[in-house]
Order: sequence, then structure tokens, then C-alpha cells
Amino acid sequence: MTGIGAIFRKELADHFSSYRFVILFALIAMVSLITTYMVGIGLSEELSGIAKPKFVFLMLFTSTGPLFSLVQFVAFFGPLIGLILGFDSINRERSTGTLSKLASQPIYRDSIINGKFLSGVVTIAIMLISILLVVSGLGLTLIGVVPGVEEVWRIFIYLIISIFYISFWLGISILFSILFRGIATSALATLAIWIFFSFFVSMGATVVANAMVPLDQATTEDPEMVMRHVRLQRAVSLLSPMQLYNDSTAIIIDPMRKTTGSLVLMGAVERLLSERFRRPLALSQSIYVVLPHLITLIAVTFICFGLSYYVFMRQEIRPI
Amino acid sequence: MRTKPGKAIFALCFILILCLGTSCISLGLAQEEKEKEDIRPERGISVAFEYPEVIINRGDDVSVDLIVKNKGKRDENVYLRITSAFPEWDTKIKTYNFSISSVHVPDGEDKHVTFYAEPEKDIKPGTYEFKVDARTEDGQLKVSHQLTITVQEKEKEKGEIELTTSYPVLRGPSDARFEFSLDVANKTDKEDTFNVTAKGPKDWQINFKPPYEDKYISSLRLKDDESRSLNVEVTPDRLSKAGEYLIPVLISAGESRAEAQLKVIITGTYKLEVGTATELLSLETEKGKPGNISMYVKNSGSAIIHDIEFLSIKPENWKVEFRPEKIEALEPGSLKQVEVSIVPAQEALVGDYAVGLNIGGEKSSDDLELRVTVKASAAWSWIGIGIIVLVIVGLFGLFVSFGRR
Repeated sequence: MTGIGAIFRKELADHFSSYRFVILFALIAMVSLITTYMVGIGLSEELSGIAKPKFVFLMLFTSTGPLFSLVQFVAFFGPLIGLILGFDSINRERSTGTLSKLASQPIYRDSIINGKFLSGVVTIAIMLISILLVVSGLGLTLIGVVPGVEEVWRIFIYLIISIFYISFWLGISILFSILFRGIATSALATLAIWIFFSFFVSMGATVVANAMVPLDQATTEDPEMVMRHVRLQRAVSLLSPMQLYNDSTAIIIDPMRKTTGSLVLMGAVERLLSERFRRPLALSQSIYVVLPHLITLIAVTFICFGLSYYVFMRQEIRPI
Repeated sequence: MRTKPGKAIFALCFILILCLGTSCISLGLAQEEKEKEDIRPERGISVAFEYPEVIINRGDDVSVDLIVKNKGKRDENVYLRITSAFPEWDTKIKTYNFSISSVHVPDGEDKHVTFYAEPEKDIKPGTYEFKVDARTEDGQLKVSHQLTITVQEKEKEKGEIELTTSYPVLRGPSDARFEFSLDVANKTDKEDTFNVTAKGPKDWQINFKPPYEDKYISSLRLKDDESRSLNVEVTPDRLSKAGEYLIPVLISAGESRAEAQLKVIITGTYKLEVGTATELLSLETEKGKPGNISMYVKNSGSAIIHDIEFLSIKPENWKVEFRPEKIEALEPGSLKQVEVSIVPAQEALVGDYAVGLNIGGEKSSDDLELRVTVKASAAWSWIGIGIIVLVIVGLFGLFVSFGRR
């Protein structure tokens, strides 16, 4: 793949020098820092009496401050990074006529798309790593608790998942920039997709569940019916990658969580006996619980990129 | 002026006569008093036992008051001597705190001293006569008095202490505590402190308690004709074998004593012990998959335990099975292995659950709490990795088929 290095370096330089990226990064970094700062102050007040709390450091990411936690913030606005980095990557080249010039250079055509995607992923990774590091450093000074080995591992896995998640959105936006010639069209399309998956899928899940398993006065008493309702709603909402990401990061970052479900049917004895030993899950167990989510996320990301690759390779590149 | 001499002489005479008369009368009276005193002899003493004849039980001692009287007109020192005595008797005359051989008796008074005689333990019943001689210092007056002591055979236990119990025999396992109730009745005619002692087998604990009170006593005070009940708490040695054990209880105060025989029948203890061979009380399993642990049931008591059954406290929809399901009988000291299979429900959450096992036999039971860690199934992880690999292979297929254009 000759030329991929050149494309990759050039794209990376473009990303880092563009105002778009700087504004976006400043915005996200600011919001995360404020969030973490508030959470950290709240935590250090909360934990002042407790002898030796477990996994305090992870609470920095999970506990919701006045607004939302860092994890929730990344889940919601992280996709915007991916979308903004990719929505005009191909069609801008096409409309300014640089794509045909690029293709006439002695570089393979797949190097163009690979290099663009790779540079986007690296940008996302650098962004996330720097945010996580800054947040961790702030947390160290605020709470004064050094994270343990397992906590570091959990944060690392969280980072990997987040990179894949945002890369998925990058892939979507690159796909749209290949499909649509107009920059505005692809920008609108990516925004629409984001809004659809972020809001409408969860709303639609509620609607579907209400329609299929209606909960009225009588059925609310029946735990079986409630469970069916909740299961259906969850199954539909899992169509959204955001839900997949939310579920998996919640389990990975919070060792005390044992299930992705929000409602669990539990007998009285079962509840009593499961609370007998309040032990956090081992990291491997946490991973196993959300393994389907993780695999789906990774696979969807790859498929999305593969799709844009396929479409781009089959497209005709004409000089304007 | 002249006085009549005749008149004056008459008056003088009258006074004289009056004086004479009165002196005569007074003289006569004095004469009478002198005659009265003279009724007492010049000197005279007497000595007498207050109770000249005494009957005692064998083993008792005797103290009888001896009254020494001075009947004469002068004070006397009276010497007392026991003239006839028996070698098996130890006799003396004493006052409150010391022996004496003479007593000073002022004229007309009497003195009490004590004659004290203590027989030997094995004195024969019969009549013993003691004679006490008394003489004055100069030996001019001698008197004597005799005391007869009749020693009779002691009436056995009757009229002394009574020790009775309604339930003299108790039975139970060797780790039980036995409580006997004794009634102590004081039939002696005096208040006394009674010591209670008991002799049990080695390493047994025997304590005496007042009823409804939590203190141990070793003696009790009873007024005459009072009776009281007394609890005897017997804690056998845990290792004592089944059988009959006698516990004599003795109550005594001075010479009077009473005994009661208590009996404890040890039937053997019932004690089950449950554990796992590795001492590990945790196991790991997956949802819907059986987790196995083998535990042992041990009879650490001293009796056979029958009908040992197994119960489990488990979350709903879980299955806990025992193999064998029941143990008919377990000999003391023997050990049996039981396989426990725990199947979590399909919907069980990943994490730790507590599962309680209760192993209950006749009169004894033991508990075991297991920590069951439900793990997520790793089988799907390979499928997941397969999917990822498939996707990546597909991507590379795309690269190969469309690349290098």
C-alpha cells in the first residue's frame, strides 16, 4: 500500500490544523474537565468518612455530578467528533477537484480511503487519550486516590471501546461523504443518523414495547408481563450503537454492576442471598457479561468501514 | 418567886421512868434479833447438781450446772474434786472459759459452776455415775453430790437431717446438663450450717445451687425444722461413655449427716459436623450448569445418628441436589461423603450468591454456607471472536479484490 503513509500524515496534519478540530476539541475537553471537577469535589466530600472504599477512581467516570457523568457525555457527544471528522472527507476532495489529482499520483486508490480512515481513528484516539489522562490527573489531585491495576485496565478497555464507538461514527460519516456529492447533504445525513440513533431508537423502543406488551393497571401487577415489556424495549433499543456502547461501558467501568438490564426479576430469597457477599465482579467476568455488546460494536465498525471502502473502490473518479 | 419542889421531883421521876421504859423495850427487841440470826449454823456448805440425772445420746457431751451454796456465817473457799470418774470420760469443772478447782462463796450466797464431761466416741451405752466432793479450805466441812449419766444408743438419722429427692435418676447425652432437685430438711432442734459435698466421676462438675438463683453454694444455713430445696447441677465430662454414673451427695453439720444417691445415665451425645474436604466453601459455576462440591458429614458425638436429611436455602429456580439424598444411620466417629450439585437458574446474574446447606439428623444438625460464584459463559466468547475474525477476513478480502487499482 504505497502512499498510505503520505496520505495518513497529510490528513493528520489537516485534522490538527483545522479550526473545526480545535474548536471541537476545546469544547469537549472543557466540558469533560468541568464535569470531572464537580464529580471529584462531590466524591471527596462523600468519601471522607469511609475507611477504604473500593474502585473510587472509577467513580470519577461513572458518578453523575450535577448534570451527567463523563461516560454519559462521551456516549452522547462522542459521535459528533467522528461525524465532524469524516462528513466531508471524500466529497470535499471531489468538489474541489483534488481527488482526481490525488488518484493520478502513484498511489493506490485504497490508500486514499485507508489513510483517511486511519488518520481519523488516530485523531480520535489521541483526543480520547488526552482527555482521559487529563481527567485522571485531575482526579488524582482531587480525590487523592491512586488507581489500582484493575482500575487502570478497566479505564484502558473503556478507552478502546470508546475509540471503536467513535470510529463507527467516523465510518458512517465517511460512507455518507462517498455516497453524497454535496457536503451539506452528507453533513445533514450524518446528523440525521446520529439523532435517529440517539433519540428515536430509544423512543421507538418504548413505543414498540407499549404496542406489543401494553402495561395497564392489571398487567403492572404481573412481574412476568413487566419483564416481557422491559425485555422487548431493551431488544429494540439495542439496535442503536449508542445503547450498545452505554451498556458495555457501564459494566466495564462499574465493577459492582452485574447486568446490563435496568430491571431484573429477582425472588426474595435470591435477592437476600445475592446480597450476602457484596463483591465486585472480576474484570474478566465484566468483559464476559458485555462481550456480545463489544463484539457487535467492533463488528459494526469494521462492516461500516468495509462498506465505505467497497463503495469508494467501485466509484468512478472523474476530473471535474 | 418560889417553886414547889414536889412538883419538880415528880416531873424528873416521870422522865426517868420514860427513859428506862423505852430502853427496856429496845433492849428486848435486840435480844429477839440476836436469837433469829443464831438459827444459821456457824459454818455450812452444800453442793448439788442442777440435774442429778441426765440422759444423753451416744457421742454427745454433757455439761450440767453445779450449785455451790454457803449456808454458814462466814465466807468460804470451797474446793471441788471429782472423786469418781471413768477413764473413758474426760471430766472437768469449769466456768465460762476456764477449768477451776475451787470457788469462793460469800456467806449466804450460792455460785454456779459447770460440770463438763466428754465421753469417748465409742463409749458403751449404760449408766455412769460421777461424784463431786466439796470441802472447805480447812477440811472441816465435806459434802458431796452424785450425777448419774445414762448414755443411750443414738437414734439413727432420725431427728437429724433429711435429704430427699423426687427424681434421683436422670438421663441424657454427655453434653447435656443435669439438674437434680434435693430437699433438705433440718429435723435437729437447733439452727446450723450444713455443708454439702458430692463425689462424681473424674472431670465431672457438680455444683449446688439454690433454686431460681444463679450462684454456687457449698453450705446452707437452716433453722430448726426448716426445709429447703437445693439444685444439684451436674455437667458430665463430654468424653464420658454411655452408662450409669452414681453421684453420692453428702450433707453434714457436726455429727449429723445425711446422704442421697443420685444417678446419671449417659445416653451418648448427638453431634454432626459438616465440612468440605478441602475446607473450601466456595465454588464456581455457570448459569444453568451444575457446580459440584463434595462435603463430608461426620458424627462426632457418641451415639448413632439416624435419618440425616439435607436441606438447602437457595435462590428461587435454583436446583441443589445431594447424592445420596439421605443418610439412614451414621456410626459415632464415622464419616460419609455427600456430593452436592448446585445448578443456578438460567436467568441468574453473574456474581456471588450465598447458598446455605442444612444437614439435620436426629437431635443434631449443622449448617454450611457456600459462596457460589456464577460466572458468565465463556463459550460465546469464541463465537464472538470468530465473528470478529470473519469480519476482518472479509475486510481483507475486500482489500485484496479491490486494492491495487
